[in-house]
Amino acid sequence: MYILAIDSATPVAGVALVKDSTLLAERFLNFKKTHSETLMSMVDQVLGECEITVQDLTAIAVTIGPGSFTGLRIGLAAAKGLSLAADRPLVGISTLEVMAHNIVFSDSMICPLLDARKQEVYTAFFDVTGIYPQRLTEDMACSPAEMIERVLTQAEISCQNKITLLGDGYAPYADFFKERLQGRLLVPPAHLMLPRAAALGSLACLRARQEDYNNAFYLRPVYVRLSEAEHRLGKGEL
Amino acid sequence: MILGIETSCDETAAAIVKNGREVISNVINSQISIHQQFGGVVPEVASRKHIENIAWVVDAAFKDAALNYQDIDAVAVTNMPGLIGALLVGLSFAKAFAYGLGKPLIAVNHLEGHIYANFLEHKDIEFPAICLVVSGGHTSLLYMKNAGESEVIGETRDDAAGEAFDKVARFLGLGYPGGPAIQKAAQMGQPGIYKLPRVFLDRNEYEFSFSGLKTAAMNLWMKSLRRGENNVENMAAEFQAALVEILVEKTISAALHYKAGTVLLAGGVAANQALRETMARRAQNEGLKLYYPSLKLCTDNAAMIAGRAYYDYYNRNFSPLNINAHPNLFSV
Ligand SMILES: [Zn+2]
Repeated sequence: MYILAIDSATPVAGVALVKDSTLLAERFLNFKKTHSETLMSMVDQVLGECEITVQDLTAIAVTIGPGSFTGLRIGLAAAKGLSLAADRPLVGISTLEVMAHNIVFSDSMICPLLDARKQEVYTAFFDVTGIYPQRLTEDMACSPAEMIERVLTQAEISCQNKITLLGDGYAPYADFFKERLQGRLLVPPAHLMLPRAAALGSLACLRARQEDYNNAFYLRPVYVRLSEAEHRLGKGEL
Repeated sequence: MILGIETSCDETAAAIVKNGREVISNVINSQISIHQQFGGVVPEVASRKHIENIAWVVDAAFKDAALNYQDIDAVAVTNMPGLIGALLVGLSFAKAFAYGLGKPLIAVNHLEGHIYANFLEHKDIEFPAICLVVSGGHTSLLYMKNAGESEVIGETRDDAAGEAFDKVARFLGLGYPGGPAIQKAAQMGQPGIYKLPRVFLDRNEYEFSFSGLKTAAMNLWMKSLRRGENNVENMAAEFQAALVEILVEKTISAALHYKAGTVLLAGGVAANQALRETMARRAQNEGLKLYYPSLKLCTDNAAMIAGRAYYDYYNRNFSPLNINAHPNLFSV
């Protein structure tokens, strides 16, 4: 079983190839070159170096959000194109769940944070006492202050003392988080901070074993937020 | 056999064209009804619809053609100019689809696609030619030495012609999209009752400017409303007549100056009846041959993209996997 994992949901572009439970190759780029230029070249490199063609793939995995609207669409459009051409199914997985999978066997509550601009973060909370993340909440967009209120409530419910924050939504509000969480705060090192295509591939293997696939015709990004125009139309401002 | 994909604005389109001439299928999913509620194209909304539609539209192009994915020789896609987020959906899909099939990728300039729509329907076009590309996104005048070589000799300094139609139509309460709305109102009105200036920029002969005309139309309309007049049909007719006159006179004078015997019209605004008729009359007076695409190929479509890509396919001029999309025009 070969899974090609593609992620361009955030400023990171990542591609990985996983065979059964073995990671064969991974490309990770967190640099300002646009995903549109890098992503398919990375796919070509990863498959080429592993002497694999798209026909050998079992499925194609992709992060479906939240994240940058344009980045999500670049990744999903690429995944759809490969899926149709190679006649292979898709596995769409939440960006936040992929980030939570950076941490395993931990008693702390895992809170991946993505910078959502407008003084907000995208987040969801996970339990990772086992090998795979168990979701505790839905994906949401909220202010850092609101996020802290929610995380403290959730920690009380699930009896967790430590709280792990990771993702590019951490740094802009680091001082605030440190002040609010003090000794309860855990922050992972650089290589576990951002979404990794390898983690996406690992989660997708689990889904593929259960034959829990998505269809290229129907899969859409999970934006969490409405577009600005729809938001204004909803409020009667247009 | 080339598959074309087009997502530069608010149409998700795919088409299959044989030998750069024969349109085998031409699927267009228009978002007009969605953008109508916003009074114009909203880029983020357009991009969201593209990612939902793209697989369906491409698959439908094959179904309509009764072909398998493997039957095509190349994948062509618009990569500029247009709404960047919208372009990126089509381009990212096209790259992966071509890669997955093991077929070459050909990036196509949207403007060249519009011009090429003429060649899909007319087989006997002679060169050199002057081509006027007018749509919601662009107003450009090109000198074409032959079918493959062209040079932009003039563009708009501000609004595109279609944009001016949209803004004035919205202002007059005629709705969106503006071109067809103004055309419809103008049919029941008369030009010349309201009087708008014809703005011919003197310094650079082939450049256009429509923002002055747009403002003049809006001011005149406000003034006449205050006087208690409100004949929207006459206003639409005068605005359309003024805009058409500018487009036609610049195009004809370029054809005469460059000694081109042929005039080509292209782009969504080329569907405008008044533009077609006025240009036909003036071209005939000057002994010029005029061509324009049928209505279906004037507005954004992918057949024109697949058609234009045939030249590049023939010359083995393929695009690499790292090619990007660009919102603006670099060169034509
Ligand atoms: Zn166009």
